[in-house]
Amino acid sequence: MSAQLAPEDVLTDEGYAVVATAEDLHVTFRRNGKAIHALRGISLEIRRGEILGLVGESGSGKSVLGLTLLGLHGAGATISGRATVRGRDMVSATDAERREVRIAHLGAVFQDPMTSLNPTMRVGRQVAEAAGSDEEALRLLRLVGVPEAESRMSAFPHELSGGLRQRVMIAMAVAGNPDLVIADEPTTALDVTVQAQVLRLLRTLRDELGCSVLMITHDLGVAAQIADRVAVMYAGRLAELGESDAVLRNSAHPYTLGLMRSRLTLGVDRSRALPALAGEVPSPAAPQPGCAFSPRCSVAGPDCVETSPEPVEVEPGHHSACLRPLAVVRRTDTMGPAVLTARAEPARIDQDTAALSLRSVVKTFGVGKGFGRKRTLHALRGVSLQIAQGESVALVGESGSGKSTLLRVAAGLEAADSGEVELSGGSRPQMVFQDSGASLTPWMTVEQILGERVRDLGRAARAAKVREALSLVGLPAEVGAARATQLSGGQRQRVCLARATIVPPPVLLCDEPTSALDVSLAASVINLIARLRRELGMSVLFVTHDLSVARVVADRIAVMYLGQIVEIGASDRVTSAPLHPYTRSLVSAVPDVGLTPVILPGEPASPLNPPSGCAFHPRCADATESCRDTELGLRLQRVANDDVDRVACINIDLSHVPTPVYITPKGA
Amino acid sequence: MTQVRFVGQRFAAMVIIVLALAAAVFALQKMSPLDPVHARLGGQASQGAIAAERHALGLDKPIVTQFGHYLAGLVHGDLGDSYRTRRPVTTDLLAYVPATAELAASGLIIALVLAIAFAFASTLRVPGAALFRLGLMLGASVPTFLLGVFGILLFYQHFGWLPASGRTSIGNAPTGPTHLLTLDGLLHGRPDVTWDAIKHLLMPATAIALGPAVAIGRVLRSSLEGELGSDYVRTARAKGRSERQILLGHVVRNAIGAAVSMTGLQVGLMFAGVLVVEQVFGWPGLGLYIAESIPVADFPAIAGVTLLLGSAYVVINAAVDVIQAAADPRIRV
Ligand SMILES: Nc1ncnc2c1ncn2[C@@H]1O[C@H](COP(=O)(O)OP(=O)(O)OP(=O)(O)O)[C@@H](O)[C@H]1O
Ligand code: SF4
Ligand code: SF4
Ligand SMILES: [Mg+2]
Repeated sequence: MSAQLAPEDVLTDEGYAVVATAEDLHVTFRRNGKAIHALRGISLEIRRGEILGLVGESGSGKSVLGLTLLGLHGAGATISGRATVRGRDMVSATDAERREVRIAHLGAVFQDPMTSLNPTMRVGRQVAEAAGSDEEALRLLRLVGVPEAESRMSAFPHELSGGLRQRVMIAMAVAGNPDLVIADEPTTALDVTVQAQVLRLLRTLRDELGCSVLMITHDLGVAAQIADRVAVMYAGRLAELGESDAVLRNSAHPYTLGLMRSRLTLGVDRSRALPALAGEVPSPAAPQPGCAFSPRCSVAGPDCVETSPEPVEVEPGHHSACLRPLAVVRRTDTMGPAVLTARAEPARIDQDTAALSLRSVVKTFGVGKGFGRKRTLHALRGVSLQIAQGESVALVGESGSGKSTLLRVAAGLEAADSGEVELSGGSRPQMVFQDSGASLTPWMTVEQILGERVRDLGRAARAAKVREALSLVGLPAEVGAARATQLSGGQRQRVCLARATIVPPPVLLCDEPTSALDVSLAASVINLIARLRRELGMSVLFVTHDLSVARVVADRIAVMYLGQIVEIGASDRVTSAPLHPYTRSLVSAVPDVGLTPVILPGEPASPLNPPSGCAFHPRCADATESCRDTELGLRLQRVANDDVDRVACINIDLSHVPTPVYITPKGA
Repeated sequence: MTQVRFVGQRFAAMVIIVLALAAAVFALQKMSPLDPVHARLGGQASQGAIAAERHALGLDKPIVTQFGHYLAGLVHGDLGDSYRTRRPVTTDLLAYVPATAELAASGLIIALVLAIAFAFASTLRVPGAALFRLGLMLGASVPTFLLGVFGILLFYQHFGWLPASGRTSIGNAPTGPTHLLTLDGLLHGRPDVTWDAIKHLLMPATAIALGPAVAIGRVLRSSLEGELGSDYVRTARAKGRSERQILLGHVVRNAIGAAVSMTGLQVGLMFAGVLVVEQVFGWPGLGLYIAESIPVADFPAIAGVTLLLGSAYVVINAAVDVIQAAADPRIRV
């Protein structure tokens, strides 16, 4: 693309210090006749060569800001203020000017690399469109670490793994040496070990090419790992802006403090309910006057409802938009322990009674269509697991490891090819899914949805039962009259939990129920599951890709890799003193404030063709010759003869269980 | 490699469907109360003559053997003799097919051109697109034969621009090698013949094209618009591609799948339209042939036309699958 650059674009103004700015930017959409105030007066600068992390909950306007800078806000938006890139205002520019700026100065990486690449165009051509020539495209693919780049040039996107697709997106973004790369949740759809690789790649590219990066993410740990400065957005406005360390470890705004406190890390106290930010994000359709955070703010006063605070410098280079002085805000934080909830009573676990036991479960799927061309996908390759009555077990692992399949087999939604599934009492377990919106019938009211499960009760008894179930999940009785589509994500997830527990099941099966929710909502749903479990005496099997969630919800964690459990043990031990090399790399890839991740090379192998011997050997740093052996017959083995900890690896000292380390909370 | 296998599979499926069609036609023929020997020899034939004829036709053999003979005949292009014309059905078909093929192909081309114009004009919001769309929809909502009649009244009776019947008005029009007048005219260096044939084709072909044009155009438009809102288009815009480059370079290939399947379906409807419209325009094609065969229950002729059109439909839909697989690499996996 550099061939198309007008010389004055690159050569003049070499000494610029600011790549892009937002200046009192307002963006309003119309939806169903209502005005949606996505951005409400935001001003910030992106400096030359910096990585600016843009964080905030869903709907806070992060993506809208990124798209406006790209000039891709769409025709339906009403915009005032300026959004400049290298001095050119993308708001008032003509279409041709915007294209010119995008070609010369901008690159973009979006969240979902599958849908963001054209499925019917070869990867090489897609990169060449941005790079100008095939040779340059090839060079870029090599630069971003695509192995066997020549042959990959002619691949279609569906032939690449998620991590490779995102590398291809990044190659397109850095084509033509842009001054600014806008990356909107580039790692959210990726597994944690791949996420760590992609984050490192972005940083290295920034160092080598000298471009700035606007890194949009909802994950404060990701921002901490990659950003030089962090901007926190709330309801379309800037809440706080400053050096990453200052903002994340020494927050100045009550919202950031709340976010940091309700953030799930490997260090949170498992014995108490999680501190969750009260309330929900305000609706962008009806912004209130004054500070948008006031309904949820613990230091709000009457003035906060009238005056809308502007960001002011509270420390050198550190801005916060709050009417309270810094000292007052920070004091609420030092009050921390006092606002912490009381220590929760531990759940009663009956170790001698198994609520659910799975023995040597094998499940394969035939994939591919057409006659006689089916390939076998090995989803579960001999999994045994017992869950005691009242116990909670989490299944963790990367996508494709078989977590959800195991859950579906346990639920009876899928029949195992071989092996046994035994449920105590015989009554069916209940399930809660990630996408709760889709599993609630849209035309039924919440009352009808819940009532369906207690159909045989009388009218009055049924109504009472529904009210009780709603109050148990912390929803007001009015919600009963609402339809699923009228509820927020967190409310829908609560309705799903109410539906699952209105008749208390012996086992509750959860498939990533919090991964679509914002931090504070996720925390409250996790608290709710813990409480329901204690009060109803249920066992829980909880699938998640997030180790910090697993650690909080579960007594034991089982780590899966390519259809097998490779390690199982007490939550604290697995997350703080992992034994299996794969668990070790999973733990160290969790992004956190003030931690450098250890990066695992490669991506999970395909369950269509699991490697021989120990399936992990192609990625394992400790692998020896015998690990490859087809006759290895690797099995979970007891560690130090205890019944809790088991691991499947031939190169581990099994004589003693490492002591769990209590990790002190980092950050706030 | 995979493409070859894919085409091979589609071909196998095609053969199976045609076989099933042949079996159905054969079964219908067997179930029909009409006695073919009767139909050939007339009511007054002697018992002996009837028995001889039954034997000659193989009708005294077991039904499976008869079906075997029938299939073997099909493979050699033998569809039996028409009761009405007393000629082999294959010979009859060869005489009538070119006219119908030319009409159907022209109809398909017109339908596709109109559909594409309609879809792109509405997607790009070209001025006048709404009017064009309204006209098309209006035309498509009128039954084909009425459309033909209106056309004749307007363009033949009133304006005198277009001829009302037949394929050509030129007496010494060349015959062969393709028997398609538009092509044969060009091949023999007779542009006047081609031009005359086009004028004859215009009205009947348009009459059968309007319905399919709207159906295909609608599908194409909605997939174009859907694709334009997709993530990869946003990526292409972020790269700085122009809207024209995006539409032609990215969107079209992703959008045609649904329109191509719709075309496959519409071809079936178009065959029905052809049969009707040929009678309105006195078009010497299969429609006329079958219209004359039905009243006299000329079963071999009817079966021949059914098999031929059915096979054409199957072949076109196999082509649809192959085109789709060529457009979308994910189908081949
Ligand atoms: N094209 C659009 N039309 C109407 N409303 C829109 C449009 N784009 C965004 N919005 C609304 O603007 C608000 C801000 O959206 P935005 O996508 O920027 O949030 P976000 O911070 O990126 O959230 P997430 O973390 O969920 O990606 C939301 O209420 C959203 O629904
Ligand atoms: S301005 Fe008031 S409501 Fe807003 S964050 Fe500060 S104290 Fe809280
Ligand atoms: S068995 Fe070998 S390859 Fe597998 S985890 Fe252990 S050391 Fe690594
Ligand atoms: Mg977003």
